[in-house]
Amino acid sequence: MDKPQDLVESLIRTAGRRVEPPEDAYRQVFTAAHQAFRARTARRHERLWVLWAGTAAVLVLAIALMFQWAPPGAGRAELARIERAIGVVERATGDVWQPVGESALPLTRGMKLRTLASAHAGLLLAGGASLRLAPTTEIMLDEPGRLYLSGGTVYLDHRGSVGTGYRIETPAGTVRDVGTQFELRVALGALRLRVREGSVEIDRAGQTLAGAAGEQLEIDALGGITRSRIPATDAAWQWTEMVAPTPDMDGRPASELIAWVARETGRRLRYASPAVEQRAATVILHGNIRHLPPLSALDAMLATTDLEYALDGDTMEIRARSAIPAEP
Amino acid sequence: MAELAHLDRAVARRILGGDDAAFRDLFDRFFPRLYRFALARLGGDAEAARDVVQQTFCNAIERLDSYRGEAALYTWFCQICRNAVADHYRRRGAGAARVVLLEDQPNVRAVLDALTAPAEDEPETGAWQSQVHRFVEATLDSLPGRYAEVLEWKYLDGLSVREIAVRLDVGEKAAESLLTRARDAFRAAIVELAGAAEELATPLEPQPG
Repeated sequence: MDKPQDLVESLIRTAGRRVEPPEDAYRQVFTAAHQAFRARTARRHERLWVLWAGTAAVLVLAIALMFQWAPPGAGRAELARIERAIGVVERATGDVWQPVGESALPLTRGMKLRTLASAHAGLLLAGGASLRLAPTTEIMLDEPGRLYLSGGTVYLDHRGSVGTGYRIETPAGTVRDVGTQFELRVALGALRLRVREGSVEIDRAGQTLAGAAGEQLEIDALGGITRSRIPATDAAWQWTEMVAPTPDMDGRPASELIAWVARETGRRLRYASPAVEQRAATVILHGNIRHLPPLSALDAMLATTDLEYALDGDTMEIRARSAIPAEP
Repeated sequence: MAELAHLDRAVARRILGGDDAAFRDLFDRFFPRLYRFALARLGGDAEAARDVVQQTFCNAIERLDSYRGEAALYTWFCQICRNAVADHYRRRGAGAARVVLLEDQPNVRAVLDALTAPAEDEPETGAWQSQVHRFVEATLDSLPGRYAEVLEWKYLDGLSVREIAVRLDVGEKAAESLLTRARDAFRAAIVELAGAAEELATPLEPQPG
């Protein structure tokens, strides 16, 4: 063995492993830094939105005056509302694409929405379902309960919605959900379906295929079908958390937040004891978790309570930081 | 180097544009190093290090649009961290014992900054004369890319080249080549830092602040 290699090896062995920051420090600093990041992003989008809206308003006014033109879509029923837009998200009526801001914007029949590279969007569909768009995705709203995915990846969470399932038309077939969470990707004539919860049906070329929770179906452009497994906690689902609709938790019991986080992260919920479960139902939260990803929201909110959580595989366990006094 | 500066500016732009994935990636890469950086300058006070790093991230994000790419992004974060450490001592009063590190001396810092620039890492902490651990830690943290991890996998975890290749998802030849470059970079850094440390044996001019 040559001398220089000895030097490197012996120094590193003598010094030992570098100090690793404690996990709780990571989580605390991440939560604070992420909040600062989100707040800054929101302020920047607001500024851009005001700038764009002012410019657009002047243009629309000028055009309307010139042509006595009424805006298309005026008075039409709202089919969806943009709840979150991260990065460059654009909507169009016809072929004119315009950027959208952070504000909740309505979408009506015939409108298109697209995300550019690195952008994500979260929509609240009429009826209450959550639709989320990954980067480079384009959809068109057709009618209540039906939309067209021309390319890219969407995630639909039907929970909390009313009415029958949603239909997503794609160039590669039609997908119908049956009360579920699923992701659908369409590209170059191929289709990929990932079912997180519930079940989904695909109509394609006169054939109906069913996908169950934990299943991934890939249908290539020639009709070849491949089935595989995808757990509800797989990292592939994480992008959906970025644009998850954050519920208003101010004044609500901790148990509601905990249930929401468990569902958004695909985890089974377990309380360490009935007393802890009772405690979660009675602790009232105060504050705003707007735009925080689910686990960051849980970090921020539980930090002010005597509850904590631990992730164990596909399970999220809620524990007490210290012994909970018995109810009088 | 211009291309790397461009990459750092691109990361900053993505974060300013609200790219959550870019933020998380940067946080995961910088947090452990900044934590060690602060910990060494705060005399091992873990709670203070956590608070200082938190302040560093919050300040850096607020000022990110002022980052112009003249230095590596991590070097820029380190400067903000130094300021946060100084603020910490100011808050605690003049009586607090301030930790002065070898790598905060200008000539040693210049070596570490030069190492940082090519690949986004930066200097860290260490006390050459008394603590081999801190010196090696600072050297490892100043190495570009994944050199430090590769060296630790090899010499501390005892992984074979094949196992390192699997972890990096590259071929064995590429892993062997990376390991060689990592060893060379570590050796060069040690030699340069040792030289800079020897220069410190001569009296330095008083440092501002």
